[in-house]
Amino acid sequence: MNRRKFLRRVPAWAAILLAWPVSLRAGILASPVATNRLRPPGAVPEDLFAGRCIRCGRCVEVCPYHAITLLDIRAGVFAGTPLIAVEQIPCTLCMKCVQVCPTGTLARIGQEQTRMGLAVINRFTCLAWSGKTLCRTCYDKCPFKNRAIVLDRLKPVIREDTCTGCGLCTHACPVTDDLGLKAVNIEPIYAHAE
Amino acid sequence: MPMQSETAARPAGPRPVQSGRAGGAGTTAGRYGPWRLLTLFLAFLVILVNPFLNYFFGINWLQGWYQSLGVGHLWFVSPLEGLESLLVTRSLYLPSLIGMAIPLLLAFLLGRVFCSWICPISFFAEIIERCRLPGSRRRGGRVRFGHHLIWFALVAELLLTMILGAPVFVVLSPPGLVGREIMMAVFSRRFALEGLFLVAVLAPELAGRRVFCRSFCPLGGLLALVGARRRMVVTLAPERCIECERCSQACPMALRPARGETLSVYCWNCGACVDACGPAALAFAWDGADPGSRAGVRFAYHFAQGRNEHAQEK
Repeated sequence: MNRRKFLRRVPAWAAILLAWPVSLRAGILASPVATNRLRPPGAVPEDLFAGRCIRCGRCVEVCPYHAITLLDIRAGVFAGTPLIAVEQIPCTLCMKCVQVCPTGTLARIGQEQTRMGLAVINRFTCLAWSGKTLCRTCYDKCPFKNRAIVLDRLKPVIREDTCTGCGLCTHACPVTDDLGLKAVNIEPIYAHAE
Repeated sequence: MPMQSETAARPAGPRPVQSGRAGGAGTTAGRYGPWRLLTLFLAFLVILVNPFLNYFFGINWLQGWYQSLGVGHLWFVSPLEGLESLLVTRSLYLPSLIGMAIPLLLAFLLGRVFCSWICPISFFAEIIERCRLPGSRRRGGRVRFGHHLIWFALVAELLLTMILGAPVFVVLSPPGLVGREIMMAVFSRRFALEGLFLVAVLAPELAGRRVFCRSFCPLGGLLALVGARRRMVVTLAPERCIECERCSQACPMALRPARGETLSVYCWNCGACVDACGPAALAFAWDGADPGSRAGVRFAYHFAQGRNEHAQEK
């Protein structure tokens, strides 16, 4: 291909790029982080994540619980980044992944500084809050028992300043509603912070 | 220019024709080929076994693949991936920089040896090369693009990364994808869809040689750039050269070692030409020839060379 031929094709390429459906473009750049879909501990804010992570998969490999999974090309530019589906396998806060991350995408933090998200209790579906039984599974499973989840007149209450968003409560929760959500879900409220 | 003057300095007239490359004192046939294949195989074995070790045995001594490889507490970070990460986030992270140092030093001293001696794509390519269409084995095969395209690939890749604000090569890096696919197969019992890109990269190997590596791999471009003034080069002893052109037939990068093109920025020190050379005119040399005169001309000479070659093809 010579230069003239190449230059002649430039408008065609520009047209294709502009005609590319906006929805698809948004899909390519859309973050996979959502309710119960979280980054491993110590993750940088989500708008930096795709740029900083080099997709080496080492966090996935060292995770002894296989909680961290790798996204594929359906996640657009986030292909190859790690994600935890907490209702399937929650994070046990062993902090092995933050030790191996070569780019600082997962900062080297401790268990208590971890903020993967915040547990939020749905008081309509929660067995204890709706008065069906005296369920306190989440309270029992919380690694920061009596600190991150406390019992207020036998009903679980989340303490926002202590909850790490590890998802052990979500995984243990016996309730699953029509949308596949539990009665206690992790919301990634810190993902876009800073 | 020194390389051309070397060619001109050769005595004219008929030369002794040697039959076959085996036998005879000073023959180097097959010296590097088997070792290269072994190294490529071992390098592939590393990324093949480590997902199994991690998943089934919980052994974390080895992690990752050729985007970042962890060996115990020693980390390697692929320079282009590290550079992308640095450009997009505009932040320095010391472990990442240290991890990039060893691959960069390797490229600086030895050239693109990662590409020819370690990269899993090269391993597959060498395997494919041994069961390929007849006729395509010669002179870079049937499918060919200019060498200089690799610089466009590198610049385009970095520009696209900075425009998108999200890295491109880390998502579709062929050597990285090999590792990712193996790991996905072990950890998730399925393959990732982007593995199709590997098929696209390796398909031209059926009719060409290192088509992607030679003209399109941004990582190869970066390593070639870093290794432009490498210490280790293949040097030519013009008085021993019989101009049989076996080296040109052997070169997977479609260079002509007998005309001094091994000194160019595009040579990746695989040693195929050294193996093919009957009279042992080609040899690896540490800081070979005269580095002073060679360094300055490399880019200029081979840009011109590439253009001439291109013009001839048309």
